[in-house]
Amino acid sequence: MDTVGRRKFLGLCLGGVATGALAAIIYPLFRYLAPRPVDGSADKVVIQLKDVPDGEAKFFEFAGASAVLVNKRGGGLVALSAVCTHLGCIVQWEKDKQDFLCPCHGGHYTPDGAVVSGPPPKPLTKLPFTVANGAITIG
Amino acid sequence: MALFKRVIDWIDVRIGARDLAQKQVGDYLLPRNINVWYSMGSILLFIFVMQIVTGILLLIYYVPDADKAFKSVTYIMNEVPFGWLIRMCHAVGSNMMVLVLLLHMFSVLFMGSYKGPRELNWVTGFILLTLVQGISLTGYLLPWSQLSFWATTVATNSANAIPVVGHYLVEFLRGGKLVGPATLGRFFALHVAVIPLAIGALVGLHLFLLERIGVSTPPFGLKETKNSWQGKEFRYEGHPGGIRFFPNYALQDLTSIAIYFACFLGVVFFDPYLFFPRDAFLPANAFVTPAHIKPEWYFLANYQTLKIFPNELIGLTVQGAAMTFLALLPFIDRGPERHPLKRPVFMVCTLGGILLWLGLTVWGHYS
Ligand code: HEM
Ligand code: FES
Repeated sequence: MDTVGRRKFLGLCLGGVATGALAAIIYPLFRYLAPRPVDGSADKVVIQLKDVPDGEAKFFEFAGASAVLVNKRGGGLVALSAVCTHLGCIVQWEKDKQDFLCPCHGGHYTPDGAVVSGPPPKPLTKLPFTVANGAITIG
Repeated sequence: MALFKRVIDWIDVRIGARDLAQKQVGDYLLPRNINVWYSMGSILLFIFVMQIVTGILLLIYYVPDADKAFKSVTYIMNEVPFGWLIRMCHAVGSNMMVLVLLLHMFSVLFMGSYKGPRELNWVTGFILLTLVQGISLTGYLLPWSQLSFWATTVATNSANAIPVVGHYLVEFLRGGKLVGPATLGRFFALHVAVIPLAIGALVGLHLFLLERIGVSTPPFGLKETKNSWQGKEFRYEGHPGGIRFFPNYALQDLTSIAIYFACFLGVVFFDPYLFFPRDAFLPANAFVTPAHIKPEWYFLANYQTLKIFPNELIGLTVQGAAMTFLALLPFIDRGPERHPLKRPVFMVCTLGGILLWLGLTVWGHYS
């Protein structure tokens, strides 16, 4: 009984030390490999109105992801996430058709981001923006 | 635990794993007078694995481009969480590897284990030594610091002394007239792909030979210390009545590795810059040679030898001759006696050689 108790105790100690050692290896390793926080991509983006003529779209980076500003033909500004809601490709602006095409699986969206056809399950996410003195501030 | 046992059983009935393990490690007998020096090889294996793991981790952030290499290393050291730890383990580990390699060689030397039928073990070991030197030399350039740049300039330049082909050889090594981006490209490929694969292959061969021939019996504590192998036919040196590799000697291997690891971590945590001179922290500048540029400690003897001889060719020839002698030692020293104290000539030469090497190293350090 006594030796069994001792054996168990030593086994527990050994297991504890081994677990500690493993943790001391895994933690630095995880931290080393973990993605770094993105810096530099501001949480506010300013675009001049004259840079987005009527019927055109301008792509930019917003909060670490791709976004697009559309100046709809016949008036009206929209800011959208450019990430397709299907599997995450970046949508393209088709100026002649005045719509968005996702090249990966052929999803179509209206300039407002609503799904017209194809596999995307949800509309493109709208981004808040304000306009003042010919400058558009997104975010 | 029960699940674990079932998995093992499943594998066992298919490939006979237990039987294999029993034959390879359980019934693998070692001489009863085996000593701690026989665990140096296991430490080396451990270091080699550590170098591979830390090396792969460094590859994630390191950029092998002359304009970016230094910055990427600085980034690893200062920005990436625990990047300093990974890099220090790799850099300190490379130095420790050479140190343990030397200990392994010395023990093999003093116990006469290189004698027949183990000549090939020695030869493969010797090639491993040169490969480890090569991997250190090429790795030294990668951080693209002043130290890297100029140490590589000097090291590659010494090939200039070789008659006729020397100039071309230097350019070939560098991939251009001077050390530059082209040199980094080829050294990078050598350091991360070519030499590691070669080392892996040779370690495999080294261990295969050990397995085929059997471990040598240390010459200590025996009446008869002469090499009994006559060189007539193949003989496997089993050790009937010897101690088991597993668990007995495996425990010694683990103990040695633990002691090594403690020393290694001691350097990493308490004196990480032991092997880093000042110039290792300045980015390479092809227009400014720093004063007192020196190679790593284990090349100091080579460095000093080149300095002593007025003619570079003589200096290089002397080193080449010494290395050739070392490589061919088992074919030169063929006497059957293996006990160091019964081999006075060998002892004088070896101790003399080690002292000479140490002397040149210290001289090189202070010159
Ligand atoms: C990457 C470098 C090396 C590794 C990983 C390595 C590994 C090993 C291992 C695991 C053993 C068996 C156990 C032992 O005696 O330690 C061994 C034996 C041996 N090694 Fe190495 N070794 C290396 C380099 C060298 C060098 C540089 C030499 C000498 C030039 C050498 C010469 C020998 C000899 C002669 C034996 C047979 C010893 C005996 O059977 O008693 N090795 N090596
Ligand atoms: S990812 Fe856009 S349609 Fe599939």
